[in-house]
Amino acid sequence: MKTLAVDFLLKESPNAIAIVDTKLNFISHSNQWQEKFSLDKTDIINKNLFDSIIETPSLFKIAVNEGVKGKEHINLGQKFTLPDGKLQWLKWKIIPSTIQDHGFDGAIIFLDDITAVQKELELLHKAEEVARIGCWELDLISNTVNWTKTTKDIHEVEPDFIPSLEEGINFYKEGVYRDKISYLVSNAIAEGKPFDTELIIVTAKKNEVWVRAKGEVEILNGKAVRLIGTFQDIDEKKKIELAHEEISERLKITTQTAQIGTWHYDLVENELEWDNEMYRIFDIDKNQFSKALEAWSSTIDPNDKERILAATNDAIKGLKDFDEEYSINLKNGSTRFIKGISKTIRDINGQPIKMTGANWDITELRSTEFELDRSTKLFTETFEHSAVGMALVSPELQWLKANKSLTHSLGYSEEELLKMSSMDITHPDDLPRSNSYKKKVVNDGNENLQFQKRYFHKNGNIVHAIIGSTPVKDLNGKVSHIITQFLDITDRIEAQKKLEALVDVTKSQNESLTNFAHIVSHNLRSHSSNMTMLTKFLNKEEDEDERKNINRMITSATESLSETIAHLNDVVQVKTGALEKLQSISILNTVNQITRSINGLLEEQNTKLKIDVPKSHFVHAVPAYLESIFLNVLTNALKYRSTQRTPDIEIKSKIIGEDILISFADNGQGIDLNRHGNTIFGMYKTFHKHKDAKGIGLFITKNQVESMSGTISIESKVDEGTTIFIKLKRS
Amino acid sequence: MNKVQTCCIIDDDPIFVYGTKRIIKEVDFATSILVYSNGQEALDGLTKLCMAREPLPEVIFLDLNMPILNGWEFLDEFKNCKSKRSKKIIIYIISSSVDPRDLERVKNYEQVDTYILKPITPNDLAKILGTITEN
Repeated sequence: MKTLAVDFLLKESPNAIAIVDTKLNFISHSNQWQEKFSLDKTDIINKNLFDSIIETPSLFKIAVNEGVKGKEHINLGQKFTLPDGKLQWLKWKIIPSTIQDHGFDGAIIFLDDITAVQKELELLHKAEEVARIGCWELDLISNTVNWTKTTKDIHEVEPDFIPSLEEGINFYKEGVYRDKISYLVSNAIAEGKPFDTELIIVTAKKNEVWVRAKGEVEILNGKAVRLIGTFQDIDEKKKIELAHEEISERLKITTQTAQIGTWHYDLVENELEWDNEMYRIFDIDKNQFSKALEAWSSTIDPNDKERILAATNDAIKGLKDFDEEYSINLKNGSTRFIKGISKTIRDINGQPIKMTGANWDITELRSTEFELDRSTKLFTETFEHSAVGMALVSPELQWLKANKSLTHSLGYSEEELLKMSSMDITHPDDLPRSNSYKKKVVNDGNENLQFQKRYFHKNGNIVHAIIGSTPVKDLNGKVSHIITQFLDITDRIEAQKKLEALVDVTKSQNESLTNFAHIVSHNLRSHSSNMTMLTKFLNKEEDEDERKNINRMITSATESLSETIAHLNDVVQVKTGALEKLQSISILNTVNQITRSINGLLEEQNTKLKIDVPKSHFVHAVPAYLESIFLNVLTNALKYRSTQRTPDIEIKSKIIGEDILISFADNGQGIDLNRHGNTIFGMYKTFHKHKDAKGIGLFITKNQVESMSGTISIESKVDEGTTIFIKLKRS
Repeated sequence: MNKVQTCCIIDDDPIFVYGTKRIIKEVDFATSILVYSNGQEALDGLTKLCMAREPLPEVIFLDLNMPILNGWEFLDEFKNCKSKRSKKIIIYIISSSVDPRDLERVKNYEQVDTYILKPITPNDLAKILGTITEN
């Protein structure tokens, strides 16, 4: 077998080949072997294989030993660690040989160092893993699918998983994703079209993951034989992308809804870019927009232009962000107020390169502001010049502002008022009602409540006012202050009081007149009815004596009638026009005058008279009335004296405020006031069995006292005595 | 029986008393007549009769305006009288007053039958007699 040709071929083979006998001694070897695997570069024929071989894994040694005993062994790549720690891959094939087969007993050994190739492959796998890019292969001839480890990892399948084409497709999410990949793959097979797509797969563990699948087609004889491609996990990136898209969309909707226009201005390209809202706000046709800054600046109202362009320049230079309000003139000639803000974006060197910003229409806001401004002015004007008092008060009722009318009504200056609370000058009797009114306004928010209360003027007088309050709320709905209207009705109340007093006087006068009318009617009627009756009797009576008797009675009735009329005349005299005749009269003088005139009567009864009236006491009175009153009271005291005691009369006077009280005390019969109290001063009321009792004296006395704006009263005890009190105006 | 046994006049006006007495006789209204000149006198007199168990008047003609104790005061006192016999007495107010307040006030007294305006006439007495004998 050892021919020259074969030997030469073996020697020159590009592979490392060794032929050994059963004792593992070299029969022959290629040059490559000695070069790559033998440590001995001299002749190694007939020497043992393992004497000169480089470090090999034990598996190789076993394989060789078994090989010479007749067992073939192939290893496509064995990784092992050299003593110095380096990694090495060896690939071998051992073919046993016998005399019968190849003319010798032993084995042929092919050995190859594949370390470099393997290292590259390992690196590739690592790269795949790190980049999460896997590879896949579809062999259309054998109809097999091959996935790399990373591809399997992405699908979350076991490392030994081998998919079919259908299984591979079914990992894609049902619906549009699966339909799309099916279409792309079949299109690639049929048309040879490569694809690159982003789709969702559902992994073996049921997770949804975004992937990018790329496919290239290998064509042989115009027919696709293999699809190869990459398979990349882009889930994180895709999700961020989708989220970004969503936010962008949302922003777009927001700016649209809020009617905020946004823009970009590329400072490098000098190009202005607007969104649709901008075109709407500025009322410019999108198609006619020139993208130059001038397209925007030309809309600005001349009054604002200089200011706005200066601000824009500052912004472009990056000195200050744009934040301005300005008016623009629209195509149709109307004006719009715009609020604009911007940010300037710089490159890494700090050079401004872009501006981005937003604009919105504040016309309505502006007009509302104008309106507010005007109504504030109007309110201030109204407030200050209102004829009605007006004030702003805090919810704690502290004065915050007061107008002239109010300060006039209360007598305090505004400055003085602002240091006080409304409650400080409220009449104490009105405090509880004021508090409950405040609650209704501040807590319950009642807007149209009116309330009448009293304040104290600085000079101490009472001020009557009708208060109307309107609570003003801040943005949080809390009452910030109260606008109070203050209608001063003091004059009205005073007038009303006077009127009421007048009505009272009129009422009592009317009442007394009614009484008087009935008294008159009664008295006149009793006499006239007597006369009627008597006259009838007289007509029928025949007996002369009886006729004389009746005649006598008629005469008496007539006399009584004229007496009554005389009394009435006296009363009417008193009732009319006494006030004009009032004079200042000394009480003491009048008393002395009267006691002198009835001195005879007093002495007749051995009357003890005590007069305790200061000379200085003067009253406003009609002289004749005062005399008549004193006379009547004194004669009554004598007339109704006690039969058991000698009369004892005491006359006193004392000052009570604006009045003087004169009292006449006696020790006479007295009168049962429980019985007669309310009729004592009535006309024709008599209470004693006295022959002179007519029931007219005290009635006239009372009328005389009252006609001089005085009062008369009585205190009495039966069988002890009577005191008459007369109160008259002091002079 | 068609006339009143005893009739009582309470009035301070002698002329009225004279006239009334005369008319009573004229229409034969009562057998006997009692006269008091004011409320107090009447109250005292009637009480005395009551205590003595003597017959009380069946009818009283009462004036309102009188000294000492007037008609109203008399009525107030009379109301308090505990005697059952007194309850049977019918009272007629006879007054000159046309004051509506007086006419109204009369309604507060159950025992008062009618308010008669002076002067009293034979007709008035005949009517009263009619109602009394009817009952």
